[in-house]
Amino acid sequence: MSEKVLSPDLGFVKDVMKSGGESLKKCYQCATCSVVCNVTPEDNPFPRKEMIQAQWGLKDQLFGNPDIWLCHQCSDCTAYCPRGAKPGEVLNAIRKLSIRKYSKPGFLAAMAGDPRFLIFLLAVPIVILLAILGSLGHLSNIPRGENGEIVYARWMPVPFIDMTFGAAAAFAVLVFVFGIVSYWKDLVRNVDTRRINPSNEIGLGLGAAIKDIFAHRKFQNCNETKARGTSHMFVFYAFIGLAITTTWAIFYLYGHEFLGIQKFAIFNFGESPYPLSDPMKWLANISAIALIVGILMVISNRIKNKEKLGGGSYYDWLLILVIAGIALTGLLSELFRLGNMAGVAYPTYFTHLVLIFFLFAYAPFSKMAHMVYRGTAMVFGKITGRA
Amino acid sequence: MAEESILVIGGGISGLTVALEAAEAGHDVTIVERNPYLGGRVAQLNKYFPKLCPPLCGLEINYRRVKENGRAKFYTMSEVEKVSAKDGGFDVGIKVNPRYINDKCVACDACAQACPAERSDDFNFGMSKTKAAYLPFEQAFPQRYVIDGKACKGDCGKACEAACKYGAVDLAMKPETVNVKAAAIVVATGWNPYEIAKADNLGFGKVKNVINNVMMERIAAPNGPTEGRILRPSDGKEARKVAFVQCAGSRDENHLPYCSYICCMASLKQVTYLKEQYPDSTATVFYIDIRTPGRYEKFYWKVRDMEGVTLTKGKVAKVEQAAGDDVTVTLEDVLSGKKVQETFDMVVLASGMESALREKPLQLGIKYTGEGLIIPGSLVPGIYAVGSAKSPVDVTKSVQEATGAALKAIYSLAAGGRR
Repeated sequence: MSEKVLSPDLGFVKDVMKSGGESLKKCYQCATCSVVCNVTPEDNPFPRKEMIQAQWGLKDQLFGNPDIWLCHQCSDCTAYCPRGAKPGEVLNAIRKLSIRKYSKPGFLAAMAGDPRFLIFLLAVPIVILLAILGSLGHLSNIPRGENGEIVYARWMPVPFIDMTFGAAAAFAVLVFVFGIVSYWKDLVRNVDTRRINPSNEIGLGLGAAIKDIFAHRKFQNCNETKARGTSHMFVFYAFIGLAITTTWAIFYLYGHEFLGIQKFAIFNFGESPYPLSDPMKWLANISAIALIVGILMVISNRIKNKEKLGGGSYYDWLLILVIAGIALTGLLSELFRLGNMAGVAYPTYFTHLVLIFFLFAYAPFSKMAHMVYRGTAMVFGKITGRA
Repeated sequence: MAEESILVIGGGISGLTVALEAAEAGHDVTIVERNPYLGGRVAQLNKYFPKLCPPLCGLEINYRRVKENGRAKFYTMSEVEKVSAKDGGFDVGIKVNPRYINDKCVACDACAQACPAERSDDFNFGMSKTKAAYLPFEQAFPQRYVIDGKACKGDCGKACEAACKYGAVDLAMKPETVNVKAAAIVVATGWNPYEIAKADNLGFGKVKNVINNVMMERIAAPNGPTEGRILRPSDGKEARKVAFVQCAGSRDENHLPYCSYICCMASLKQVTYLKEQYPDSTATVFYIDIRTPGRYEKFYWKVRDMEGVTLTKGKVAKVEQAAGDDVTVTLEDVLSGKKVQETFDMVVLASGMESALREKPLQLGIKYTGEGLIIPGSLVPGIYAVGSAKSPVDVTKSVQEATGAALKAIYSLAAGGRR
């Protein structure tokens, strides 16, 4: 028999329990969870082994493994767990700690997971945006459109927004790139190389994972939380719609400014606001409504399942509420502008900008990072036959 | 009616023991039993563990003791309706349901032969039928037939009556209430098999050839529905490859949060039924932990080392129908870390013990756990609880507790009641 030395990290056990996995120690390894899970592979299934690894503080085995991310938290395990150990919630807590490990600097991830630091995280965009407005003199004097209508772009010129948010996004992308590289290295180091199917290269794995993600295929295997597939799909496609609109708006503005493109058919090149008849506005408004519908479904599902499946942690709710806030303030900004209600319009728009900055800049440290790390794990899972 | 007596609620092995110990010490005892016979769950068992002897053997001795002593009176098909504390004791109202057969019955079977109606046999957990006029089982005590009023409708009763040469059929019987004054009460209400159909992933009631452990006792019993041949219910095929699923509903906060104490020993015992009948059979016990307390460990080693017996660590959490009425179970083999599917002729769910009081708790100021188990500390002076009314226990422990409770009840009686 070969000897194996385990190095338990008790601090890690405590961290898991503090991060929403407080039920961890109730697990008595009956393995009901691995059986009722419809997302796990048959060989070395999760989440039973994760539960004992977490109880023993074996964090390297948990982090350097795609399984914690291949779990989609259907919570079938939690519903059938005879001990109330809530494996779904425990794996969620481990994922949070995994984000803290791979998204550097770690202190930002620690701050993103701790309600005491919320005010500081919010202060960053508030200070930046107020500084821009103050330097333009727009805090005391709000410039209006030609006919006295509300024009947000006159108050907060778009190039300033693009610079600030572009910088925030670039920072996030950089953190993500480093995060993915170091996660991938750990994954490769820990995997039995015989499991890697050489005919299945990264490109193919990526294609297969993307196909799964766009179809939300894994969610369809959930029983207890079937509705989550739908709500997540709404939010997911709303974000894609809004990403397209944002890019589209950049073309409108800079295409007009630098290339001199004028209004062309129904496409209104030039400065915002764009008329409601513009196709970009259609897509933007449809996406905004989809986002509101989706995030409200997320909230209602979570409340409905709270008793049985666990209510989620601060970390989960922060992302949910930021997204809900963005959707709501976005739509209200538009309505207040059209209704010419300046008193509420500007504060709403300001809040909207603060929340978007929050989402972008802190994406690698908040639960938003799940898209990148789960995506990476799914690609790796495809290559190694685990997803 | 005895002025000062001990009332025993439940005529199973615990209640019978309390009653006999007290009666043989010279005291009057009244047993209230819900079934038409004494003996309770033990009467339904094929063998006791760990000695593997037939329980009816010991039960018959107890039946004879009841008859010979004469101080232990009993009411079958009865329940305690109300209790009030009075002076040095308790006034107890007992509801006696009609048996429709009086004590002239000689158990000649003529009424059953003539009876046109049938009923599902609850003694065999519905795996067979009896006539609506029936004897619960061959050695049933009292050795008297019963007419099931719910099953025997219309002319059924008349047919039974006409067939009886002894004038033992009495269709005019009505429920009646008997009042007893008791100095002490012993609660020995026992257990029911947990309704394992509530665990929707274990297939009971939906998947053919998934049975529970008490059904397995009946199937293996010579006086059972298959005359002791281990045949599976759906098609009567010999069950030669059998899975035993431990902790089916026990140690599970969605069902029974406690360990039911007897199921590991019961399954290991049932493995011996199978191996004895079909030496080439295979049995797999799927467990979380094998719990064989105290000296039972030796029995565990014995069964573990039998050929064709596998003990696999991993709880079965999915049970599905396979081709040809076979049953497929899914589990994670914890020691190898693989999700495993295996197909069996029959699956026995080791469903746990649920207090019989859960459904209909006795008042008497008793406090219960969420699952209807008596919290002993809540018992008032003069009331004692024994056996699986308090906590899941085996027969040995029940009998020991019952002997102790008899002494306490006698003390209470001697001290003028309610002490």
